[in-house]
Amino acid sequence: MATRNRSLLFRKYRDAWKSVRIPASSSASSAATKSSGGGPVIEMVSASLPHPNRSYTPLSTEDPGNSSKGAVTVGLPPAWVDVSEEIAANVQRARTKMAELAKAHAKALMPSFGDGKEDQRIIESLTHEITNLLRKSEKRLQKLSASGPSEDSNVRKNVQRQLATDLQNLSMELRKKQSTYLKRLRQQTEGQDGVDLEMNINGNRSYAENDDLDDMIFSEHQMAKLKQNEALTVEREREIQQVVESVNELAQIMKDLSVLVIDQGTIVDRIDYNIQNVATTVEEGLKQLQKAERTQKQGGMVMCATVLVIMCFVMLVLLILKEIIF
Amino acid sequence: MVLVSAVRDYVYRMLQDISGMKVLILDSQTVSIVSVVYSQSELLQKEVFLVELIDSISKSKESMSHLKAVYFLRPTSENIQYMRRQLSNPRFGEYHLFFSNMLKDTQIHLLADSDEQEVVQQVQEFYADFIAVDPYHFTLNMPSNHYYILPAVVDPSNLQHFCDRAVDGIGAVFLALKRRPIIRYSRASDIAKRIAHETALMYQQESGLFDFRRMEMSPLLLIVDRRDDPVTPLLNQWTYQAMVHELIGIQDNKVDLRSIGKFPKDQQEVVLSSEQDAFFKANMYENFGDIGMNIKRMVDDFQQVAKSNQNIQTIEDMAKFVDNYPEYRKMHGNVSKHVTLVTEMSKIVEERKLMLVSETEQDLACNGGQVAAFEAVTNLLNNESVSDIDRLRLVMLYALRYEKESPVQLMQLFNKLASRSAKYKPGLVQFLLKQAGADKRIGDLYGNRDFLNIARNMARGLKGVENVYTQHQPLLFQTMESIIKGRLRDVDYPYVGNHFQQGRPQEVVIFIVGGTTYEESRSVAQLNASNSGIRFILGGTAVLNSKRFLKDLEEAQGIARSNANVV
Repeated sequence: MATRNRSLLFRKYRDAWKSVRIPASSSASSAATKSSGGGPVIEMVSASLPHPNRSYTPLSTEDPGNSSKGAVTVGLPPAWVDVSEEIAANVQRARTKMAELAKAHAKALMPSFGDGKEDQRIIESLTHEITNLLRKSEKRLQKLSASGPSEDSNVRKNVQRQLATDLQNLSMELRKKQSTYLKRLRQQTEGQDGVDLEMNINGNRSYAENDDLDDMIFSEHQMAKLKQNEALTVEREREIQQVVESVNELAQIMKDLSVLVIDQGTIVDRIDYNIQNVATTVEEGLKQLQKAERTQKQGGMVMCATVLVIMCFVMLVLLILKEIIF
Repeated sequence: MVLVSAVRDYVYRMLQDISGMKVLILDSQTVSIVSVVYSQSELLQKEVFLVELIDSISKSKESMSHLKAVYFLRPTSENIQYMRRQLSNPRFGEYHLFFSNMLKDTQIHLLADSDEQEVVQQVQEFYADFIAVDPYHFTLNMPSNHYYILPAVVDPSNLQHFCDRAVDGIGAVFLALKRRPIIRYSRASDIAKRIAHETALMYQQESGLFDFRRMEMSPLLLIVDRRDDPVTPLLNQWTYQAMVHELIGIQDNKVDLRSIGKFPKDQQEVVLSSEQDAFFKANMYENFGDIGMNIKRMVDDFQQVAKSNQNIQTIEDMAKFVDNYPEYRKMHGNVSKHVTLVTEMSKIVEERKLMLVSETEQDLACNGGQVAAFEAVTNLLNNESVSDIDRLRLVMLYALRYEKESPVQLMQLFNKLASRSAKYKPGLVQFLLKQAGADKRIGDLYGNRDFLNIARNMARGLKGVENVYTQHQPLLFQTMESIIKGRLRDVDYPYVGNHFQQGRPQEVVIFIVGGTTYEESRSVAQLNASNSGIRFILGGTAVLNSKRFLKDLEEAQGIARSNANVV
């Protein structure tokens, strides 16, 4: 597709205009009186300082070779941007941890000679960390909501929406990973336990039948096996329980987040609908504010407070008079 | 995908290279252009956290210098004025300006002059100056569309605006496609000729910009007039997209249901976009009966899913439910949307007895038999439950077809119409005949001028039709077929300049001055799907339904009358 860049031409014209303007502003001539009506000194001052209405300290990144006026670029952002950046950083950290978790899952599922306890611990800790990160981010996300129908609040709402979408996607991914891990874990456990149980049953039967002869040896062997299996089962139980718990937690987070996330393809996802809505809510908000102001002014509270303050003063004066007189 | 993906690419490139939090500022036209191709959630992904209109943003004084401003505007003098005011009091950290069409030098001068603080980082022209409602269908959404009907002397400045906007839109389409076309226009229409010549002039003046690699076959730009085929916008429609537009009204792929009844908050306005809705994409060209069946199937599927969701017993089930919840919610929204639309349309069809009316309409448009037609129309005019607008349409369709055959009976119909409907005056029908009567039309609207067409009609009559309600083919279909066969007559559609085209073009853009209809865009889509070797794109100054077409006629008639009075 074709585009055309007019920036060069624009800059050329802008520089031409600048050179026309600079000699005009440095001379104390009619140019100053024409534009501001004030003295030439005022004109020069206002020309060289940055725009006075700026509420943030401007950071100048232009090289000093340029003219002294208006060297304002991106200023310091408001405080809530820090919160949003923190959440974005958390999301990023959670993503890297998820990659690690995937690796740890794969490793744990591979048959190994060792205990597998180390792997389990790593998996547990990773899962906990990720869940904590997500929960913390979600709490901080609530802080982003602003009140009042200003443009700033719209920006905050939109930032909130985008971060909510990211968090929700992460939670879903985590839950999918966990559920697949869980499934494969169960398959493995059943396989092992099944075999063991079979042996157990046989062992029991033989134990019941052969009362006397190999009693002692069998039972010891068997008790050991039984204990081991029990321990294994208990531990698998515990793991499964934990994974299920975290699944539930994440489900909760997802439910909370789904309120904030936009449904794609619906009318709420249309730009023009949102613009219209903003316009009407801003108007509504203005009306509400005006109404509130009116009721406030007429309000009995204000009257009472004023009366009380006056009374205080009166009493104070009386007290002083009393002291003076007596 | 052609038009939609072109505009999407433009928007993507606007936002891609700018890092950090952005605010996107649009004007009232570019808002439609962007909204039909990009969704709010996609904007959020690109870190655009605020979208504003340029006239409302001038009112606020909040300074937000941590945001970078991306402006996407049409290069009108009004917008330049707004920009100048905003550049002299900059609120944002950086300014990136994108214009949807070519800027004049004077406009760049003005902007450069007001950029004292040097906040503007780039000024570019991105030629997304049309609303891509469907992959092969675009519109310019012109608010005062009726100027095409009036002769030039009546209101020259408004007509010039109209032509300028049309030329801008057409230019933008070809720039987006990176091609330079050969231009042909409909001989009988002055405004088509004017727009064709002005487009050619634009190409001459800006030849540097249009210097694309010449492929073997240049594409064809064909400019036709709505008045060559006044029948298609007047007919009632029975295929999904066209029917929704005819009975309820689609604007920028949005349907506003508030005008026809009370609905819960989330169903008051719905989106019908073939890009985002798979069910709609599969059914938009199907007729009403088939849609009913498909919707019933969709509802059944949904009910099954819903039932299985209610049956949650183990933790696994719960996990699966939470997994599938977003999908479920989306499906639910989609199903209710389509069910609501079809229910409302059925209600309207019942009320206005549209099945009866439409049968006669299709007969008037497609088959012969003046006597039978007269009787049918008279009966319907006498029928109490037929609404005023339907009566008017019937008389118009009759008049367009049989205006020469028996003037007496036509007079009778006019009188009957006048006596029954107080709001609509028969003067409108005469106005229509004057504008789009048989003398004014080229092309064979009823298939009774060309011998070949007569034969084809007879064959069709003998064979019978599949569906009485969808038997009409718009004139555009015949035009496109002649282009495919390479037999578009030079006499009827002359070339601009001394170009001449051998053989068939591979890409054709047809621009209808006065507006397109969804029935025509359906023909285009079907022809494109049939792999004829040529890709057609359709565009117009608006998307018409019968209400809009009649409104345009009325407004033009009003202006013509007041002009006659003045003169």
